[in-house]
Amino acid sequence: MLSLAELQSAFCDVSLGGDTSILSDVIIPDGFAPEQRLQVHCNNTTILLTEALVTTYRIVHELVGEDFFTQVARQFIRAHPPATPCLFEYGAGFSELLRSLPALSEIAYIADVAQLEWQWNSAFFAEEAAPLSVEILAAISPEELEGHQLHPHPTTRLVTSAYPIKQIWDMHQDGADPDAGVNLDDGSEAVLIVRPHAEVELHLLSTNADILASCLISGATIGEAFGVLETTEDAAHLPVLFAELIATNMFDKIR
Amino acid sequence: MAQQAQTVQRSSSSIPVRAGISLKTQHYKDILEHNPDIGWLEVHSENYMADGGPSLRWLEALRERFPVSLHGVGMSLGSTTPLDQNHLKRLVDLQRRIKPSVVSEHLSWSIANGAYLNDLIPLPYTEESLDIFCAHVIEMQDALKRSVLIENPSTYLRYEHSVIPETEFLLEVVKRTDCNVLLDVNNVYVSSQNHGFDPHTYIDQIPGKKVLEYHMAGHAKTEIDGHTIRIDDHGSSVCDQVWDLYSYTISKLGVKPTLIEWDSNIPGLDVLVGEAHKADAILAHHLVKEDTHAFVG
Repeated sequence: MLSLAELQSAFCDVSLGGDTSILSDVIIPDGFAPEQRLQVHCNNTTILLTEALVTTYRIVHELVGEDFFTQVARQFIRAHPPATPCLFEYGAGFSELLRSLPALSEIAYIADVAQLEWQWNSAFFAEEAAPLSVEILAAISPEELEGHQLHPHPTTRLVTSAYPIKQIWDMHQDGADPDAGVNLDDGSEAVLIVRPHAEVELHLLSTNADILASCLISGATIGEAFGVLETTEDAAHLPVLFAELIATNMFDKIR
Repeated sequence: MAQQAQTVQRSSSSIPVRAGISLKTQHYKDILEHNPDIGWLEVHSENYMADGGPSLRWLEALRERFPVSLHGVGMSLGSTTPLDQNHLKRLVDLQRRIKPSVVSEHLSWSIANGAYLNDLIPLPYTEESLDIFCAHVIEMQDALKRSVLIENPSTYLRYEHSVIPETEFLLEVVKRTDCNVLLDVNNVYVSSQNHGFDPHTYIDQIPGKKVLEYHMAGHAKTEIDGHTIRIDDHGSSVCDQVWDLYSYTISKLGVKPTLIEWDSNIPGLDVLVGEAHKADAILAHHLVKEDTHAFVG
């Protein structure tokens, strides 16, 4: 007789697509082959976890279609089953799997859209915090400001892509013009995701504002972050780029 | 009829003896705006264990209007591996935040080899399973500082080495841990059809005073090689046979708060509220009968 631990370990393998024969002898057939009864559980796991991935990766699902998504989801679920029961956290690494698929090598933006959806989802469920108020910043002189660091809001995420991913995202929102198209040659986009209040907001950043944002998020002082862009064509516009970031509410503290 | 049931609260838990509905994201706004005539709401605890965000805000707003039951699907009380301490802590935190009237879990397991299978898998009913399951119920109750409800599963298979009848196993859990029962009437029906037993006999073996909540839901029928198997998918209206079994259950075990569960193919709020009112009418009918008996008795 299998111990409960052995039974559960074998059942887990079966639910994730493994060989059912190991459990055949412990299931009462009662009109069905034991494999058919086990298949019900394998289907439960596969179908319900696929639904969880569709919830998080809704646009990818729309872009690649039901059949392809189901096939990739099955592959993902079997290789990376959830480690916790909170399925809103499930699906990290799905964009990497998409990126590795030869079938998608010609449409690499799919993996970037997946990354955008993953980060949106992560911002949606992240901790609440009051964004940094403009008054606090305004009270500090420009010279003094350079030595300060800005702490990113707990919901701040930055996603960059060689493709116009925000345009693709916008096209798949309620109320979008069904005839609108996206020109993939429009080039790269950097999208800042933040939930400063009730809803998650997406901001398309100007060129180099993403570099500034990235430096500040990783802990550079404002002076250091400006220094990174000193040799670019935007050197004269740094205060404008900085104001653009501040307006998104992407920070919650200054220190 | 519904209003009649609403005025009477007899359960030892603090959800009213009325029908409640599963709270689905699609219905948040509708419920807040239209304040439908429903007794209470139930949510899957795992969907609200986030650090923050709109879902929690909605639940907190709705909690101001309706009693809430936290129904867990992920504690995996039947697993041989230790309970996930982080998950348990998140449930304690959610309880503190939502102040639920009831907390419940399942007589099943979902986690092995570090993987959460998102499925409520039956245990072989053995002494080994009983010891493990009871230890985990006690650990969960100690962490929450409250008694929980344990729900009977829908089953699609049985194990050769299962030696204890399910009702006996469940009642032994109740006895050893001082938990109570969430009796899912649809699950009793689904299992009875899948394994060929009389669902009334199952109901007859459960003591009414240990049952604090009923679940009602729709299920699906699937054909495999000409044989039918019923799957508890919560994706349709409650079928007539399950409504009949519900009336029988109430006549035997008494009126209890009743949840209309719906988790897939989710319809408009009005459909769930309609099902809830159907349950309310049956509850009200039995309440009148119980009152008459009390008066005579």
